[in-house]
Amino acid sequence: MSESSAEREPSHGLLTRQLLVVTGKGGVGKSAMTAALGHSLAARGRRTLVLEIDPRENLHQLLDVPPSGGAIVPVGERLFLQNLKPKDVVDWVVADRVPIGMVVRRIKQSAVYERFAEGAPGLKEVAILGHCLRAVRGEIEDAPRIDTVVLDAPATGHGIYLLTAARLFAEAIGEGPMATLAREAADFVAGEEAGVVVVTLAEELPVDESLELRQSLVDRFGRQPDLLIANGVYPPLPADDGSTAGAEPEGDPLLALWRRRRRVNEHELARLVERWKGPRVTVPLLPIDPGPTLVRALRGKVDDQLDQALASERAATEDGAMESA
Amino acid sequence: MKLDLAADTPPLLVCVGSGGVGKTTLASAMGLISAQAGHDTLVMTFDPSLRLKDTLGVGDPADTGSGAAAEQEQEVRVAFDAPGTLHASLLDARRTFDRLVARHAPDDAARERILRNPYYDHLAGHLGGILEYMAVERLYEVAQEGRYQRIILDTPPARQAIDFLEAPQRIVSFLDSGALKIALRRWFDEDGRLMPSRSLGFLGRGVERFLDKIVGLKLLRDMSEFFQAFEPLFAGFRQRAAEVEKLLAASSTQFLLVAGPGESRNPDTLFFARKLQEAGWNLGPIVVNRVHPTFSHAEDARSVSAAAEDSVGKDPVGDDETARQGRELFAWLGQRHRQGLSALRALLPADQIVAEMPLEPDEPTDLESLLAMGESLHRRLTHPPR
Repeated sequence: MSESSAEREPSHGLLTRQLLVVTGKGGVGKSAMTAALGHSLAARGRRTLVLEIDPRENLHQLLDVPPSGGAIVPVGERLFLQNLKPKDVVDWVVADRVPIGMVVRRIKQSAVYERFAEGAPGLKEVAILGHCLRAVRGEIEDAPRIDTVVLDAPATGHGIYLLTAARLFAEAIGEGPMATLAREAADFVAGEEAGVVVVTLAEELPVDESLELRQSLVDRFGRQPDLLIANGVYPPLPADDGSTAGAEPEGDPLLALWRRRRRVNEHELARLVERWKGPRVTVPLLPIDPGPTLVRALRGKVDDQLDQALASERAATEDGAMESA
Repeated sequence: MKLDLAADTPPLLVCVGSGGVGKTTLASAMGLISAQAGHDTLVMTFDPSLRLKDTLGVGDPADTGSGAAAEQEQEVRVAFDAPGTLHASLLDARRTFDRLVARHAPDDAARERILRNPYYDHLAGHLGGILEYMAVERLYEVAQEGRYQRIILDTPPARQAIDFLEAPQRIVSFLDSGALKIALRRWFDEDGRLMPSRSLGFLGRGVERFLDKIVGLKLLRDMSEFFQAFEPLFAGFRQRAAEVEKLLAASSTQFLLVAGPGESRNPDTLFFARKLQEAGWNLGPIVVNRVHPTFSHAEDARSVSAAAEDSVGKDPVGDDETARQGRELFAWLGQRHRQGLSALRALLPADQIVAEMPLEPDEPTDLESLLAMGESLHRRLTHPPR
């Protein structure tokens, strides 16, 4: 299967997806970007749930609400936050499918179950995705039906595992209610309902990883991520930056550092542009500590460029449609 | 604990820290210093950047066809002219696991049964911390061979960094756990039907029914087959894990903790330092890497944040404004990183060495610049500021 024929265009992606998996290497500002994206989608009319898996909760600080403690908490208009413990979901499935309370208790207390719930490869991922599915179907008690779940996913390598695990698990199990859930989850991530957002720094290793992730998505799912966010980019230097005709300025180490960092960013951005089809957003390095203020600022940057990216993407899709007609 | 790469000890240096902090580059730079001081040194890394691979001259096996894949773990001599030799090797966790299976399997048939079991594939990648464990397993393997006077291990990017540290213990506890004993039971009769069980009583029947009802039997069948095939290996595997654990805890092994700059990284750093010490391992210096320098003529950082918040979304107007905002950004970064460092030092015992490595304009692209980075680190480690 050649790449061009296998790839689905990320048409209308971001604004109609039911699940957006936000992934990226550690330390690239993924959580703050997830929060910003959540705000942005909510403002565009989507009832949005920001879902955090990391037990060391920090998204509530970025969204300026108290810790969710596992519950779905409102953040603002159409915006909600939840810190999910995958084990709770597995427990819920057991309770849901085994109708006798006493047996449920015994199962939950057994060492075998403990090991299984903690350790069965892929089970945790199935639980997370199953939860997302229930959220968009409006099946979660005392919670509104959600249009889009924005998932702050684990770092890149594990992010792709999140997407492939459900299929593996379904195949390994074969039969039974858990297999049904795994199959539904696998279909959900493979379908039009789900998209991937990749956050990266414009530096060598994160860019390598992002390109690998993109390739992996193309190979396994026949599609590319909906959006690439290049975060923390040093600002362009003023035209008169003290350097003359290629010579490095001796006098100003600040300018020298700034120029070199910017050059690394530009080099890596160029590499991305060359190999990354589809919408991209570049976000500058901002002198703001992680927190709600940073999220607001990021959202401003994302909003602007998102509109542009989506507009040019639509134009490109229309051009393509006309050409093929 | 002080770290002097020129001295004879430690023979084993383990670099730990979260992903993306420049651990691998620092490990390689220290390798050069160690070789320069006359020690035959091996640097073992996971996943270095292409640039670093080029710098060290360890090729990318993926680029050179299938035959080269087998050579992935080969130790490649780095073309570095020094009193000691420097070798580098790229770790491949899955290959180590396969080899471990091959070594401990009683015969070829048993080995094939394991390697071909569908569950092995699943398990090899994702049993909590197994990849991390394989890194230390490989370290043990090489350490036992005794061909090097110093080994510097760059640990893998861990999902939760601590997975790596707890991996040997977790393997042992998994091997000893009831789950395994139950998995090792004969679950199925010859027709592949679940066998009735009396020994587990009502609880057991409940659990079995749960597994049957919720999980389905295919996974259980694969798991059961896998563990039965694996059983002859457990004794060797378990003993091995215990020895690896002993090696990590030996007084001759030192841990170097590499951290990112900025106050928001401190909780991770402290968590890591505490875990290392709780495990009874020898925490050496903490290196805070890529610290933004402060420039004397930069803007007053305190006003920067407020200004930035006001100007968010507005485009800079003209060169003067661009330059001013850039200087403000650098002032802010420098100030935040300084603040992060003092906060970290304040939270650590007074005798804990915290060395800071400045953000350099350029990443090392040849052995010369990598050596310069190594020398800079070596200086900071042997003459710490406090």
